[in-house]
This record gives sequence, C-alpha cells and structure tokens, in this order.
Amino acid sequence: MEIEDLRHHTSRRFNEDLEHVRNSVLNMGGFVEEQLSRALKALSDADSELGLKVGHDDHKVDRMEVKIDEECSRILATRSPAAGDLRLIIATIKTITDLERIGDEAEKIGLLAARLAGLEQPRSSYRELRNLARLVKQMVRDAMDAFARLDVEGAIAVVKADEDVDDEYEMIYRQSITFMMEDPRAISRVMDLTWTARALERIGDHAKNICEYVIFLVHGTDIRHTAMEKVEAEVAQAAIRQESDS
Amino acid sequence: MPKRWVTHFLFLAAGSTLSLICGLWFGRPVLWLLAVLSLYLANTLRHLYFLDIALDREKKIKTFEMRGLWSEIFARANSQQCKLRSRKANYRRLLREVRQSTDALTDAGIILNSESEIQWFNPAATRLLGFDPQRDMNQRIGNFLRHPDFLNYLENSDSEPVTVPSPINDTDHLSVQIIPYGIEQRMVIARDITHPLQLEGMRRDFVANASHELRSPLTVIGGYLDGLSGDQDLPESWVAPIDEMRHQVDRMTKILQDLIELSRMEADGKEVKQVFVSVPDLLKRIQQEFVVRGSTPELVFNVSIEAGLLGSESELYSIFHNLITNAVRFTPDDGKVEVNWLVEGTVAVFTVVDNGIGIPDELVSRITERFFRVDSGRSREMGGTGLGLAIVKHALQRHDGALVIETQLGKGSSFRCEFPESRIVLRHAVPQVVI
Repeated sequence: MEIEDLRHHTSRRFNEDLEHVRNSVLNMGGFVEEQLSRALKALSDADSELGLKVGHDDHKVDRMEVKIDEECSRILATRSPAAGDLRLIIATIKTITDLERIGDEAEKIGLLAARLAGLEQPRSSYRELRNLARLVKQMVRDAMDAFARLDVEGAIAVVKADEDVDDEYEMIYRQSITFMMEDPRAISRVMDLTWTARALERIGDHAKNICEYVIFLVHGTDIRHTAMEKVEAEVAQAAIRQESDS
Repeated sequence: MPKRWVTHFLFLAAGSTLSLICGLWFGRPVLWLLAVLSLYLANTLRHLYFLDIALDREKKIKTFEMRGLWSEIFARANSQQCKLRSRKANYRRLLREVRQSTDALTDAGIILNSESEIQWFNPAATRLLGFDPQRDMNQRIGNFLRHPDFLNYLENSDSEPVTVPSPINDTDHLSVQIIPYGIEQRMVIARDITHPLQLEGMRRDFVANASHELRSPLTVIGGYLDGLSGDQDLPESWVAPIDEMRHQVDRMTKILQDLIELSRMEADGKEVKQVFVSVPDLLKRIQQEFVVRGSTPELVFNVSIEAGLLGSESELYSIFHNLITNAVRFTPDDGKVEVNWLVEGTVAVFTVVDNGIGIPDELVSRITERFFRVDSGRSREMGGTGLGLAIVKHALQRHDGALVIETQLGKGSSFRCEFPESRIVLRHAVPQVVI
C-alpha cells in the first residue's frame, strides 16, 4: 500500500477523514517524542522542575489518545472501511495505545528524574544510561517516520534495533547489581536508575510494536511473535503478492 | 482580409474560370472544374501535412520550393517556432540557474501549499531535515517535523520563529521560519544554528562564571577599604584616595550584580514563574525607597488600578526600579518624573515619563544594548552600570511584555511597558485563604 492509496476515494470527506486520523497520530507521536526527550533532559541536567513538568503534561497525551480513538470509532461506524482503509484504522487504534504507553513511561522517567535530581549526581552522570536513551529515542523517531512514510524497510530496521536496546538494558541491569553490592548506601539511587532503564527498554518495545503495525498496514501481514528471518521472507512475499495484484 | 488571401482567392477564381472555359471548349465543363479543384485540394492537403509534421518535430520547414500563400504561412510558422525555441531555451537556462542556486543554499528551503503539504524542497532540506525527495512530496510537513512547537507555529504562522531539534540528530538545533507568499503558499526556511547556540552558551557561561569569580575578591577589597576609612590614624593624604577606592569598589559590585542578574535571566530561558505580584504594593515600596533617599526631581506616582501581574516579583521590581532610577538620574533637579500604572483596553501599562534631557532619535534603538551609553562620561558620573535597560528588556521579554520608548531631545522621554492580558490579575480574582 502507498500513501496515495489513502486519497483515492470518491468521497472527499472520507479522504480528509483518513488523512486527518493519520496526521493526528503523527502529531501525537511528535508530542510523545518531545515528552521523552524532555524527561531525558531532566535526568541528564538534574532538572527536577522539568521532570515534574513532563509528569504534569502526560494528561495531554491521554487526551490526544481519547480523541483519536473516538474519531476512529466514528469512521468505523459511519464509513465501514475495507481493505487498506480498515487496516489504517486498526493500525491507528493500536499505535495510539502504544504511544500512550510510551507517554506513561516518559512520565515515569520524568518523575524519577525529579527525584534523582535531589540526590547527589554520580560521577559518571548516568553515562551508561545515555547510550540506551539515545538508541531508544532514535527508535521512537524512526518508528514515527516509518508510519509517516509507510516505510516497511525502516520499520524492519527498528524491529531489529530493539535487540540492541535489550542488550544494553541487560548490561545496565548487571552493572546496577554490582553497584548495589559494592555500596549498599547507593541502593535506592541505583534502583531508581534501573527503573529508568527499564522504562526506556519498555519504550523500545512499544516502538517495535508500532513498526509491526506499520508492516501490517502496508502489507496486511501480521509479523508479531515471528522470528526475524521469517519476517523478512514474509514481507518480501507480501510485496510480490501486492505487486502482482496491481 | 490580408492581401495574400485576396491574391490567393483571385488566383483560385482565375484558375476555376480558366478550367471552365477549357471544359466548355471540350464540352465537359464539370469534369474539368472538378479535376482542377481536386488538384488544388490535393496540393492544400500536402501542405497541411507538411505543416502538421513540422509542428510535431519543432523543426524548420523548407519554404524555397513553395509559392504564394503557403510560402508566407510557412515562413511565419518558422519564425514563430524560432522565437518559441529561443524562449524555451531561455526558460530552461533560467530554471537551471535557479535550481543550481537553491541547491547551493546551505539553509533548507521547503515550499508548502495551502494544506501544508510539501511541494518542493532543496537538497539542504534532505541534509538538515532528512526529507526524502522520492517519497516525501505531497506529504504534510508536520508528519516529519513533529515537534509540538513547530506544529503550533505551523498553525499560527504569525508567531515568532521557533528553534527545534533536528529530526535527524537531536543534538543539532534548527531555527525554523515560515514565510507566506503567493496565494496560500508558504515557504519554510530552516537554518542550522547549533554552532551559534554553542557560542552563545559559552559566552553566557563565561560571563556568569567571571562575574561570580570576581565578586569574592572584590568583597575582600571592599571590606579592607571599609576598615581603613573608619581608621582614625589614617594620614590625611590617604583619606580622599581611600574614599575614591571605596566608591569604585561599590560601582564594580553593582555592575557585577547586574551582570549576574542578566546571566541568570538568560540561563532560565524564556519561561518565568507565574506567581501573583501586587504591582501597587511593589510601587509603594519603590516610592518609599526614593522618599528615604530624598530624590531631587519631583517624583509622582499615579497608581489608578489595583491590578497585579503574574510573574516573578524580583524581576518586576528590577523593571520598575531601573526605569524609575534612570528617569530620576537624567532629569534635572527642578524636573518632574511621573510613574503611571493603568489599564488601556486589554493591556496593562506601566509608564515612566520625565521631562529630562531625552535621547537622540538615532540612538533610541541601541539603548537597550549592554554597556551602551548615550553620553558615557555623564552616566558613569551618575553611578549607572550600563546594564539597567538590558535587564529591563530581558525581564520584560520573560513577562511577554513590550517596551516602547518615546523621546524628544531636551524635552524628556517616556518609557512604556505593556503587559498582555494573559498576565494581568485583578485584585478580587485572587483567591483569599481564610484560616
């Protein structure tokens, strides 16, 4: 499926409705990305005020989710979409759920950052987290780009990148255990740090989910719970199938 | 009718008549007429065919073997073709030049239609924003540049240009501006300002650190000078120098305080705390300070409303205090300084009007620069730091306010601060906590 396929209906209103849903999802994505980067900035700059602000702004994400959800229901009820249009609506409903979760995790990071800002900064100033944060931020951004461009290759790249994120999280987790054993006084701080890493890892998973919906949206194949090699083969097959259809 | 057509018809008529006469001679007039007219038709069709082919190939037609009307028509067609071709070549060259120059631009340029969909962009847009020339045409720009500030700006183009992190690499910062043009078209210009921002940050850090570092040695020097000046055993010849030194140390401390305040405001960014500040109370406090000091020009406070502002008390104090101090400083002893606090329409206005020395017109735009002085000798004598108006400007910006300066050399000046409706709080609207 291509972006142009969403604009070919005889009813101009329907075209506009679908386009509007797509745009709203991307707007919501943009806001969630911003929430995440502000939460991470609060953490690295030890800015408790910013961290609290991120927590405070989370309700905006929730409101966006509810609004898009309502619009999707309305389109389902009034237009009875089929094929690509239906896939768009389904993918949208699922994507916004994951975006909302990413927002929640960002809120969590913001609040943890606000708490950590009050404590003494470790000498490394969370260097180990920074790499993970960079990876995850990139994943979320690429996932939204893949959604905007209906870019299957980009989506697969994000799904693959999730493995790196998991490795990185594993590493931080082990490191944290060592820290806690070395210095029991640091346990509460290191625990908070581990929670932050955990939240980031979860965000990576949500970004991966979004990319799976993008692949579903474009090719109509469900690649959840499938091994990576199989995914690529399936996607290639679906592409050939679509080619021959058109 | 053009002459060539008249001739052509005359020839045709003559030919037909001739064939009729010949036909009558042989007894077959209709056949002869038909034969001649068919020949004429065939010839016409042949030429039409040439014309059609020639127009298709955009090539020159050979006219030397043609005669009469046809040669003229073909010659005209040729000259038209020629003109068209050279015009086309011109346009092509022009287009190539425009494209080359836009390709060479280092700032990203994107053209949007009324739906904010991308119509065109230059290679710099690919470099700075990661736009894909194959896939991203006709897509809404907000789908790729998703930063909330930018989306907000896209909807209200009349607001200030925004700075957003680059979609490719979020350590880079872009300054994005939207310029409307044509019919409902808009152009987006994005410029990489990472480096200038870094330099600005370095400058700010340097000023802040330097001021802090200079303050402690200055305090020590000031302390000793205070001690010395109070010493009874001080030789007479040292009294004046020590006093002068104390005076200069005070001035330096004041400058450092102002610098620190400025850099603190800069570091805090644009947002300011939204705490209720009662302006009438604040002005009363400032008035008392001046009364105690016994200022020489007459100072009149007209506080006509009980309205307060949302913002930072210390910064609002800085604004009012600096403006009043300036007015008092540059007004002769028999002059008058008027301070007003009122509401005009939807904005709250604070004005300081004096009938002092005024400011030359050409310098008005520069007086909010740091260390800028209209008459450096005089203001230094008066004890100014040169930073007062810079602080006022900064603090006002942080309160979404605007500074309007009206002045006439020798007649006086008026400094007017306007605060928007969103910042104004009327006294009765403040919830009172009763215990």
